[in-house]
Amino acid sequence: MKLEVKDIKKTFGDKEILKGINFEVESGKALGLLGRNGAGKTTTIRILMDVFHANSGEILLDGEKFNPRKITIGYLPEERGLYPKRKVIDQMIYLARLRGVSKKKARENSIKWLKRLEVDEYANRALETLSKGNQQKVQLASTLVSEPNIVILDEPFSGLDPVNSQILKDVVNELIEEGRIVIFSSHQMSYVEEFCRDIVIINHGEVVLSGNLLDIQKEYGRDQLVISLVDTDLASSNAFLEKNLSDIIEITGFTKTDVIVKLKEGKNRMELFAALFENANKEGYEIEHFETYKPSLNDIFVERVGEDEQEQEEKANEANADNSKANEGGKENE
Amino acid sequence: MSKLFTVIGYEIKDYLQNKSFIIMTILLTVVLFGGSFLPRVFDLSSMTGVEKDSSKSDDSDDSDDSEEADDSIAEEDLQLVVYLDEGNVVASEDTLKEFFPDCKFEKADSMDSIKKDVKSGKAAKGFYFKDNLHYEYIVLNSEMFDETEAMLEAYVTNSYKQQCLSSLGVDASSFVEQYEQIPEGKTTIMGKDASQNYWYCYILVIVIFMLIILYGVMIATSVTNEKSNRSIEVLVTSIDSTHLLFGKVFAGTIAVVIQVGVVMAAALIGYSINHDAWGNKLDMFLDIPANVLAGFIVFGVGGFIFYAFIYGALGALVSKTEDINKVAGSAQMIIMIVYFLVLLNLQSPDGAIMKVCSYLPISSYSAMFVRIAMGSVTRFEIVISAVVLFASTILVGWLAAKIYRMGTLRYGNPIKVSNALKLIKNQD
Repeated sequence: MKLEVKDIKKTFGDKEILKGINFEVESGKALGLLGRNGAGKTTTIRILMDVFHANSGEILLDGEKFNPRKITIGYLPEERGLYPKRKVIDQMIYLARLRGVSKKKARENSIKWLKRLEVDEYANRALETLSKGNQQKVQLASTLVSEPNIVILDEPFSGLDPVNSQILKDVVNELIEEGRIVIFSSHQMSYVEEFCRDIVIINHGEVVLSGNLLDIQKEYGRDQLVISLVDTDLASSNAFLEKNLSDIIEITGFTKTDVIVKLKEGKNRMELFAALFENANKEGYEIEHFETYKPSLNDIFVERVGEDEQEQEEKANEANADNSKANEGGKENE
Repeated sequence: MSKLFTVIGYEIKDYLQNKSFIIMTILLTVVLFGGSFLPRVFDLSSMTGVEKDSSKSDDSDDSDDSEEADDSIAEEDLQLVVYLDEGNVVASEDTLKEFFPDCKFEKADSMDSIKKDVKSGKAAKGFYFKDNLHYEYIVLNSEMFDETEAMLEAYVTNSYKQQCLSSLGVDASSFVEQYEQIPEGKTTIMGKDASQNYWYCYILVIVIFMLIILYGVMIATSVTNEKSNRSIEVLVTSIDSTHLLFGKVFAGTIAVVIQVGVVMAAALIGYSINHDAWGNKLDMFLDIPANVLAGFIVFGVGGFIFYAFIYGALGALVSKTEDINKVAGSAQMIIMIVYFLVLLNLQSPDGAIMKVCSYLPISSYSAMFVRIAMGSVTRFEIVISAVVLFASTILVGWLAAKIYRMGTLRYGNPIKVSNALKLIKNQD
């Protein structure tokens, strides 16, 4: 199965929430849907699930118009929600039946998923009597109770301790291995890196970055390296590099232990290594680490969204300045 | 459609597992059914006119029954009345006892001693007869429905008439025998007996009003709860929101029908079993003709669903249950106005107000069955009113579903109804 989202636009009143969202995801592969709060992720998901109607654009499944009523979707919303006072098993069966599962199968699936997530002992208890972590697992079990072909997980790891997180990780990996389409939305980038082959970063209703995560990381790491010196702190390493190698590199950042550098136009690694070797030798330093930089998803996200955020702030400041001028003009006229 | 039934089933289970629903239904059923057997267990002959252990009421023995009842008042239960007769109004204390059978009498020396005895509690009442046309009734605290003064006036009037007749040389007893003949009359009611139908109509108007208010708020609360506990986030992605709202409304309606059906059946069956033991005294409440009952069911259910949709939509406009009253105020005001209009016009079921109310969907649920019970209404009018009510209910259901869909995923401050309608218009 291949799910394609093509140029989805959505406005609420005068506010344009989505300005043309595009991505695609295939069975057995997970897609990381990323963005800051209010970027438009949830609206995209709701349009996908036919809760909202898009103003324009289309969603296709295997080339055909996607009808969420004809295919089972399991949705774990960021805002968890089940009936606190009802029995766990009752509401799981209810949700499964609403998604078209027979009563018998709904019961079997409910028990299966409660067992898989190690919360079957609470099947006949009211949800509100369970701990937050167990409620979270029941919520996930409810998401999967209809054996959905498409699974949308919005912040699935929030509120889980490391042991429960591991159980959930295993479940998500199983879902991917079983060939389901998994759309994974989270601010915890390490999980996204772990599960998702592809990512889409949405900012202010626009896709600002999308594609294969490894390719993106490679692209972002191109001409960038990490360098560290033995028994030398970051500040001293930074000072050394700036003093001796500034005609070959520019320093772009730091990891916990390394300085991140970028080759200047027309320079290559061999030139850098030769200069580094020579200068380190001259000043009595030993090279500890000289490697291609592999940016984390977090770095990419911050860089991509942060840049846009800066641009937005600049635009907003410009607009404010214009408004101020206009207002001043108005007062003068008065 | 099967998903709609799934929602109805789940919601009904919620009602049927609700402790207050179960307790209230069982309690009312037991009280009404058990209560209908009271005349078989306790002596309620003073109320029913039927002696305990006697299943037949014998109207011809009323006088004997009343004498027996009088005799049964123990001496210590008689109220002491002190009286001063300066005008020789009282021919004998027996004449007083005829008017005041639950009293015993004692002469007083003066007005002061009457007041003293009444004030001290020794005597329950005091009578002062100045002459044939002037008297005074003395009591410490006057009760709401004290008939003593009226009886005293009747007694003094009677005494005056007798003295007048005597002064004219007419024998009072033979005059009364000839003069006060009661003509035998018979009323043939071709249509409906308003006096007979009044009380059960009164009760049914109250019942439907209470059901709409109570269950309407329950439906609104159920909708709002799904917003506040965020289960709506999952629900709207699993099923069409219209099915969710309709499921809730129909489940509430079925719960009402079950509860009211069980309670009313208990009362009606209990009374039909013990009809004779009650001496038909509760006919005015419980002997409801089948056509009125059918009218109550059809218009009651229609009206209930009409308002349930409104409450469901209003519940979707708020995110917290404590905010429901903020948006439900207008609907509740309409229901209250209809309630008072119908109750105040119960005695004129064919008046202009009731006629108008019986066609408006906001009030026909209550006004039309009253007209069926007590007024002159043709079958054609009933059908027209029912069609208007159910067509309006479908329309309100459609609009409510749109409001529900628009409101369910909007959190924060309550959305005004006018804003909700604007948003829907813009969506369209």
